Order: sequence, then C-alpha cells, then structure tokens
Amino acid sequence: MAYLSMGESHRRITDYLNRFADAINYQDGDSLARLFSVSSDSPSLLSLADALNVFQDANRLIKQSEKFSQFGEVVAPFFRSLQCYRLGNLVDAYGAFEKASNAFIQEFRNWESGWALEALYVIAYEIRVLAERADRELASNGKSPEKLKGAGSFLMKVFGVLAGSCDLQGKGPKRVGALYVTCQLFKIYFKLGTVNLCRSVIRSIETARIFDFEEFPIRDKVTYMYYTGRLEVLNENFPAADQKLSYALTHCCLSKEANIRMILKYLIPVKLSIGILPKKQLLENYDLVEYNNIVEALKRGDLRLLRSALQENEDQFLRSGVYLVLEKLELQVYQRLLKKIYIIQKQKDPSKAHQVKLEVIVKALKWLEIEMDLDEVECIVAILIYKNLMKGYFAHKSKVVVLSKQDPFPKLNGKPVAS
Amino acid sequence: MAAEQKAATEDVKMDLFEDDDEFEEFEIDQEWIEKDEGKEVTQQWEDDWDDDDVNDDFSLQLRRELEQNAEKK
Repeated sequence: MAYLSMGESHRRITDYLNRFADAINYQDGDSLARLFSVSSDSPSLLSLADALNVFQDANRLIKQSEKFSQFGEVVAPFFRSLQCYRLGNLVDAYGAFEKASNAFIQEFRNWESGWALEALYVIAYEIRVLAERADRELASNGKSPEKLKGAGSFLMKVFGVLAGSCDLQGKGPKRVGALYVTCQLFKIYFKLGTVNLCRSVIRSIETARIFDFEEFPIRDKVTYMYYTGRLEVLNENFPAADQKLSYALTHCCLSKEANIRMILKYLIPVKLSIGILPKKQLLENYDLVEYNNIVEALKRGDLRLLRSALQENEDQFLRSGVYLVLEKLELQVYQRLLKKIYIIQKQKDPSKAHQVKLEVIVKALKWLEIEMDLDEVECIVAILIYKNLMKGYFAHKSKVVVLSKQDPFPKLNGKPVAS
Repeated sequence: MAAEQKAATEDVKMDLFEDDDEFEEFEIDQEWIEKDEGKEVTQQWEDDWDDDDVNDDFSLQLRRELEQNAEKK
C-alpha cells in the first residue's frame, strides 16, 4: 500500500460521511446503495478502507458532528466491517456488517416511502456474500461455519419488515422489495441444503394479500421462478415445474446466458418427462450436450443408449438432482421400442400386428444387450399398461400381449406419466 | 485426535457451498432484453417426434433383427 497521510485519510473519511448523510437527506437510494457495497471492491470503498486503517479513530469523526452522529449506529460498525474486510478478516467483517445492517433496518423501518430499497437490496446481497466468505474462513480454520445460517435468520427478519410494511390500505410501498430478499434466502437455503426452509417464505409470497406477484421487479420474478421451479423438480411435480421454469426461460434477460443455461438444465428433464424434446440447436446453443444421447434414446426407443448416457453423466445429473427424473424416462423408451416393434410387424402383416409376442420383445432387448426373461418383460409390459403408456391386455398362456386397436400407444401430450 | 478433527472439518467444507447452479445476480440496473414473447425459445421444442416413421438406422436394424429371429423359427 502506498503511503497514506493522516490528512488524506481524514479527508477520505469525512468525504464518505458527507456522501452518506447527503444520500439519506436527499433520499438518494442509488448513491446510498453504492456506499454499502463492500464486496464490489470499488476503488472508492477500498481507498476508504485504507484510510480507516491509517486513521484508526473514525468514531471520533462520526461523533463530532450531529450531521454524522445520527447515523453512527450504522456507520461505525460499517467502518469496522470495511476495515476487517480490507485486512482479510472475513469473520469479523461479517459480524460488523450484520450489526450495521441491523441498525440500518431500524432506520429503514421508519422511512415511509421505499426510496431506500436499492440500498436494502445491496445490504441483503452483501450479508449473504460476506457470510459465505466468512464461513469459508471458519471452515479452513477448523471451526464450524455458521454465518450463512445467521445471514438467513437476518434476512428472514428483513423479509418480515418488508411484508409488515403495510399502510392503512393494506399495501405499503416497501412490499415490492420482499421478492429480492426471498431470492437471497433461496440462494442461502439451496447452498446450505435446507430447502425445506423455503416453504414459509413461498407461502407468504403466494398467499399474503399484500403481495401481488405481477408488481415485483422482473429480475426477481425470474429468479424466484427458477428456484421454485427447481423445488418442484425435487418434488417431482412436473406440470408445476414446467410452468415455473418456462416462465423463467421466457422472461430471463437474454444477455444472462449462464442463467438461461441453468434454467434449461432443469427445464429439459422436466420437458422430457412430459414427452417434449429439446431441439438439437437448443442443446448446442447452451452447451447442454449431455442431453443429446438421452433425447436420441427417446427418439429411437434405445434403452441401451439411455442407460449409457445416464451412466456417462451420472455425477453431473446426481449433483443437480435430476438423475431420478431422467431414470424414469426408461418407461417412455420402452414404450417407444414396443411401438416400433408394433409398426414393423404391422408393415409386414397388418392382420397380426396387434399381437406382440413377449418373446419378440425379449429378443429386441437382447439385441440391445439387455438380458431379460419372459417374466421380467411381462412385468415391464404390465407397468406400461398400468401407466397408460400402452393399451392392451395379456393372453397369459400364450405369452402374447394383445394391443388395443385404437391408440395402442397413447402420447403424453405434455402431461406426466401416471403415477 | 488433531488429524481426526481436521478430517471432520474437511467434510464440513465439502458439504458446504454446494450449489453448482446458483443463479447469477442480475445487475440492479440490468437492461432487460427479453425474447419476443419467448418465441424463439418455444420454437426450440418438439412434441411431434413420436411418429410412425421406422426408416431410421435404429429401426432398420431392429427390423432386421426381428426378421432374422422369425426366420430361425
């Protein structure tokens, strides 16, 4: 660090304090937001941090004038946080930042309009990011990481402030900030693996009368639909997952390709499970080639290809939690294979096409290097019939399945396989 | 003992920060450009693939296989 004089340090600190006081007096949310964004590593905040570490006694500057001291509860711990952050002490930086944030929330609660929402967003973001870094520091020192969990509790409190900010008509101007905070909470819960905690905020967003989903900013709506869509995938509620993830895909900002790709990573398995395939171009555009062979397996009715594609990308699919969804595509692949056998028979001899010998299916599978005996194949066919992927009945004695003359292989048409 | 503790914290580290698919933050002032009613995207799906066409390579091989079997009988 280049030499920094006391005078220059003093100037930088009072400059910040002046900007802080001005932002609040003029209700300038954008400027206030920038003054809080520790992790942005902005040159002005970094140079302030250096000044604080040289000057050491910034509290005296805060206390010496009424203009600054009224925000002392926010600014003093914020300065401490910034100093620690600059010195690479993330645990203390987080602690002090949470203290500053708590004091800020008390002020925010009393402001009638929502002018400071931008600043609140930055605080909600910073608290999460600083907590993550603090936890990494704790874990590497052999201590138990607990800050991110703490950040979650803090943000729940913020959510409560926003949700409770109604005026007499029942709608306060700050309520539109609730979805941003919700999205930060989702990120925390997904990271900590405590996704069940999402439920109470979701219930509040979706049922509380003060919220009107359409009113929220678009970026928060898209993020919200991405996370709730992923939750629906975990719950295997595919129509709901389709609706939410499709919303996110349709409305996501085009310049955020990484986000579009993430939406597709979950939407594709959902679409596959309701019988809709992504076009090759889509997979290529977003580098989702791990789905290529799965799509091809469905088109062909190639069970072997499905299994090898699942095995090849097993780790990846398990990590994102879509493995089980993809594994269930087996039934659709069986359906497709049987349909092909049926069509081939029909072309040869239309009069007998409706009778498919189980033996023939065994042989087709053997050709795909899948060893199954008659009983096992009978069992699979029974499941297909039960799940309405096939219409027909068994002539048990002759080991033949007799297909319905009408629509023997019903299509899913965007509906999930019956459970 | 110390080694054990170290191993335990390694585990904690492994478990923590495990969401590969964390949605990237949108800039607060992100300029929002959407597709025209999601047109392009919706055109990238197909729901009419489950056709009766059996002229692809896979089906042709399947046919050969089934016919061979029939002959053997």
